[in-house]
Amino acid sequence: MVVSRRVFTAGLAAGVAAPALIGRAGAQGATVKIGMVVPVTGAAAESGSFAQTGARIALEQVNKAGGVLGKPLELVTEDDQTTNPGAVLAFSKLASQPDIVAFLGSIRSTQMHAMAPEMMKIGKPVGFGGTDPGLTKLGNPWLFRFRPNDSYSGKVIAQYGAQTLGKKKWAIVHSTDAFGTAGAKALTEALPDNGSTLALDQGYANQSQDFTPVVLAVRQSGAEILGTYFTFETDLGIFARQLRQLGVTVPWVGSPSIVNLSALKLAGPALFNTFGVADYAEDSSDASKTFAKAYREVRKVAPDNQSSWTYDAVTVLAMAMNKAGTTEPGKVRDAMLTIRGHKGAEGEYNFDRNGDGLHGYNIVKNEKGDIKFDKRIDFTPQLG
Amino acid sequence: MDLALQLLFTGIGIGSVYALVALGFVLIFRATNVVNFAQGEFSMVAAFLMIVFSVKLELPYWLAFLISLGGMALLGALFNLAVYYPLRHRTYLPVIISTIGASIFIANTVLAIHGPEPEVMSGWFETPGFLVGPVYLDSQYLLIIAVTAALVALQYWFFEHTLLGKKLQATSQDKEMAALLGIPVAAMIMITFVYSAVIGGIAGILVAPVLFVSISMGSTIALKAFAATIIGGFGDVTGAIIGGLALGVIETFGAAYISVPYKDGFAFLVLVLFLVFRPQGIFGERVAEKA
Repeated sequence: MVVSRRVFTAGLAAGVAAPALIGRAGAQGATVKIGMVVPVTGAAAESGSFAQTGARIALEQVNKAGGVLGKPLELVTEDDQTTNPGAVLAFSKLASQPDIVAFLGSIRSTQMHAMAPEMMKIGKPVGFGGTDPGLTKLGNPWLFRFRPNDSYSGKVIAQYGAQTLGKKKWAIVHSTDAFGTAGAKALTEALPDNGSTLALDQGYANQSQDFTPVVLAVRQSGAEILGTYFTFETDLGIFARQLRQLGVTVPWVGSPSIVNLSALKLAGPALFNTFGVADYAEDSSDASKTFAKAYREVRKVAPDNQSSWTYDAVTVLAMAMNKAGTTEPGKVRDAMLTIRGHKGAEGEYNFDRNGDGLHGYNIVKNEKGDIKFDKRIDFTPQLG
Repeated sequence: MDLALQLLFTGIGIGSVYALVALGFVLIFRATNVVNFAQGEFSMVAAFLMIVFSVKLELPYWLAFLISLGGMALLGALFNLAVYYPLRHRTYLPVIISTIGASIFIANTVLAIHGPEPEVMSGWFETPGFLVGPVYLDSQYLLIIAVTAALVALQYWFFEHTLLGKKLQATSQDKEMAALLGIPVAAMIMITFVYSAVIGGIAGILVAPVLFVSISMGSTIALKAFAATIIGGFGDVTGAIIGGLALGVIETFGAAYISVPYKDGFAFLVLVLFLVFRPQGIFGERVAEKA
């Protein structure tokens, strides 16, 4: 028998590929898979590692409790490279795997906006952490938010500044990306309800090396209080240092990044005595404390919101699939929308018809580097 | 007036950072006629080496500084052997692509070894800064300005008044002729890579207390430094310095008086204007096609 080169090559390829294909076929259906888009490289790589830890703690707990529909839950991750194109590519790679039944998107609103059209096409539930209020108003029924959106953070910051700190003339400094712009808009809109006025609205581009012009603008505005929406901790660290160096000492209430571990490490004393709205605060509830204990056992440091939302998202998605009794996307979505009063690390989950699960924020204070819980401010959601 | 003075100081400070990194660009360009896009990564690697030796191993600051620069010299030599030398007889394009690849490789290697966490590095002085009238002078920026000035003087003297500097220039202008005259071309290029890695390392170590130590710190600065080199004129030390300082001042004043979000835009607008109307830069030779 004469074996042609083509036949030989095809046979060799089949021989090499067969074990992998057989193994893969056998593995299909053995686990329930959740795909996770997460920064492994790029500017947000550090927070990405926190996010993975949160998700894996939940994964372990779900599996210890019997898994999903009697099968172990499995996490499949893809690096978004901390960029929008990277996020779209990462989601596309995950979406091409038909056995992935749900996804974890990004904590960054700008990346969520980039991925949202593809998420709409795939038609499977996506838990995410981006806080731009517009994300759950895109008409995309598959998006479920596991952090309170910025319309709440804006309301909480404005209310706390006016009613607790007694300051009403605001300077707002924010990133010009989707998160920062939406946050600043929400805060600006909340000011009149609290008898406050806007002295300065100052945007900046991410990854700046110098904030002197921004700080000088704040100083010249005559503002009594500063509200900020920073996306990257390195930017926040540079800004905080320059703010103090140039003598600006007005009270400062920031978005959640102001209490992120990286920001605390980088800015150090420059962030002492600042306030932050924090979707995650360890002392805010028993569920938050339980999560913190589990996280410390793994990472040996306190958790922050980078990990708490992914922990909640994996837990709640698993809960919804078990409640639905299937991984069929439409039924999982319906089950998500009926979740009421689930006590997660971030707070109490009650999903409204838009897919927003949380409706309030904690206020915390930086006391010499220790983040102390002050109060929680919740708003009544319109549940569908 | 107070505002303008504060902005001027900050602009010169940040401009000096660009200028320091730009010096490395110029050095390698003069020796090899190619642009080294991994120059920013040299700064990043040196800053991380300082973190290892000064913060983690708690060696004295000066000793950690010297060891880090030694490490940079070694990196420069390896870079030459792995990235430039195998492609030395090719046109500039494959070499440039090779440096871009090396830049990505270095950044990801540091990421794999150290992890993604940004680090804090203390400055050289106990006092972070002081007020002179209404203007706050950051001590680290003052040091950066002083070191930049010293290195410019050193580099000018080296290229214009030493035999080695002239040999390096001869190598850059015509390698074959330099070889015929008995100049060891390969050794000259090796020296250049080692020196430029050390210069880039000094820039990274100096800027780390201001911008923190992160994987992306080098690439962000290098992009501006590259623009500064084009503006000043490729191949000209004075031009790189003037370009760096001009860029720092223009973007700082542009941000303060026109628009903060477009701060980076001003820098690159100036770059585009130079490429269109004066591609050889303020002092340099015509190399627009390499941008």
